[in-house]
Amino acid sequence: MKRIITLNVNEKEYEVAVAPNRTLAQVLREDLNLLGTKIGCDMGDCGACTVILDDRPVNSCLVLAVQANERKITTIEGVADGPHLHPVQQAFVEHGAIQCGFCSPGMILSAKSLLEKNSKPTEYEIREALSGNLCRCTGYQKIVEAVKAASQTMKK
Amino acid sequence: MHLLPKFDFYEAYDMGEACKVLAEMKSEGKIIAGGTDIMVNMKKGLLSPKCLISLARIPGLSGIEPTSGGIAIGSNLIVSKLLEFDLIRKKYNLLSKAASVLGSPLIRNRATIGGNIVTARPAADLPPPLMAMGARVVLKSKGKERELALDDFLVGPGQTKIKSTEILVSIIVDEPPPFTGGDYIKLMHRNALEIAIVAVAVQITLDGPDGSIKNARVILSSVAPKAIHAVSAEKVLIGEKPTEKLFKKAAALASTDCTPITDIRGGAQYRCAMVETLTHRALSAALRQIKGK
Ligand SMILES: Cc1cc2nc3c(=O)[nH]c(=O)nc-3n(C[C@H](O)[C@H](O)[C@H](O)COP(=O)(O)OP(=O)(O)OC[C@H]3O[C@@H](n4cnc5c(N)ncnc54)[C@H](O)[C@@H]3O)c2cc1C
Ligand code: FES
Ligand code: FES
Repeated sequence: MKRIITLNVNEKEYEVAVAPNRTLAQVLREDLNLLGTKIGCDMGDCGACTVILDDRPVNSCLVLAVQANERKITTIEGVADGPHLHPVQQAFVEHGAIQCGFCSPGMILSAKSLLEKNSKPTEYEIREALSGNLCRCTGYQKIVEAVKAASQTMKK
Repeated sequence: MHLLPKFDFYEAYDMGEACKVLAEMKSEGKIIAGGTDIMVNMKKGLLSPKCLISLARIPGLSGIEPTSGGIAIGSNLIVSKLLEFDLIRKKYNLLSKAASVLGSPLIRNRATIGGNIVTARPAADLPPPLMAMGARVVLKSKGKERELALDDFLVGPGQTKIKSTEILVSIIVDEPPPFTGGDYIKLMHRNALEIAIVAVAVQITLDGPDGSIKNARVILSSVAPKAIHAVSAEKVLIGEKPTEKLFKKAAALASTDCTPITDIRGGAQYRCAMVETLTHRALSAALRQIKGK
């Protein structure tokens, strides 16, 4: 039986009717048309589906949409401020940290969460914070450099 | 994409309600905590419960409460929050060491301590340190409550003593006595998203600052159907002075206490050799901790 749930996504409320067996990743993509959240492995291994749920980045392929009822969600679509990219997004562009782009939404959300808690992370802390996000283009070096650069700009 | 089979979803708002619904469902209802294990199993088609009962909105299930001799950890506490407690980092450091290497940051933000115990994977990260600290689990069902040593609770791969009507509510851990040290070492091919090839948890207590070993627990993981005590290693340690020679002997004995399998992550012989190495390292680290070095 479908449930009516309320999702607060990127500071906007959505009321959706969902079957309990649909994941948050599916509902974001298929019902809310927020296609920035990617589905790679669908098993918690790759992090392409990362969203921020109540201030913590999670694998949305392992969250039921009904579990997210009345909770606050940030997807990659909610990261930029209008036409202005978030410093992490800007740094990804400037440092060539995006190749095919499939991992980028998840990488950016994990990095943004890290920098909000720890504005001056060490390289090790950056690598650890991103360790649940896999990049199959394997551009890790540039991604780590971009996050470092973003931490510099955000401090200013 | 891997579609989940159909099921009903029930969100309980208090413990009594959760127990009642679980009892009514007979064995067709399953608890969902973080979902990082059960959803993967359901997506793979290994499980298809008729109803999932969520514990997320039950108050009081995801904190840490002081008890007379230690702490009670709520079963629904997520692994990353467990890591944020100063108390855990300072006094129960082998638990925080294990928690910090579970899955990935994203998984740790959903995975709960209760789920990690009930799912009973032979390589699960939290049972070994909890067993090394002598933890007990509290199980609740409609009108009933019982407490069980974690040693007895875990039975084998995916198997525990939990009844289909029971919910794990908390994990009780005694405060480590004075002159106690411990360590958890997990051997992995990479530092994240990896289950252990071998893991060892150790806790030893001396009877004084330069005393003999009063109590020793050596837990081996990923080398048997469930986390086990290295019984002969523990036996040889207790009552003796903690010397390098003794630790070497205990480590060698530990490698005879396990029955690993050969699989894609490591051969049986390699695993036995690593049990010896890691047991020795963990014992040495535990002693360093006692000596404050
Ligand atoms: C990509 C990935 C990596 C992982 N890496 C690791 C790792 O490195 N180390 C590791 O140990 N594990 C790992 N896991 C497994 C999993 O994340 C953990 O076991 C986690 O702690 C399970 O907790 P959960 O809350 O998600 O459990 P759930 O999936 O919600 O539940 C697991 C089982 O326990 C039962 N259950 C849960 N809570 C209760 C309760 N309170 N009372 C009764 N029954 C209950 C459920 O019915 C279910 O059968 C990984 C999983 C994934 C997907
Ligand atoms: S799609 Fe969710 S972790 Fe890969
Ligand atoms: S840029 Fe292609 S997966 Fe990371």
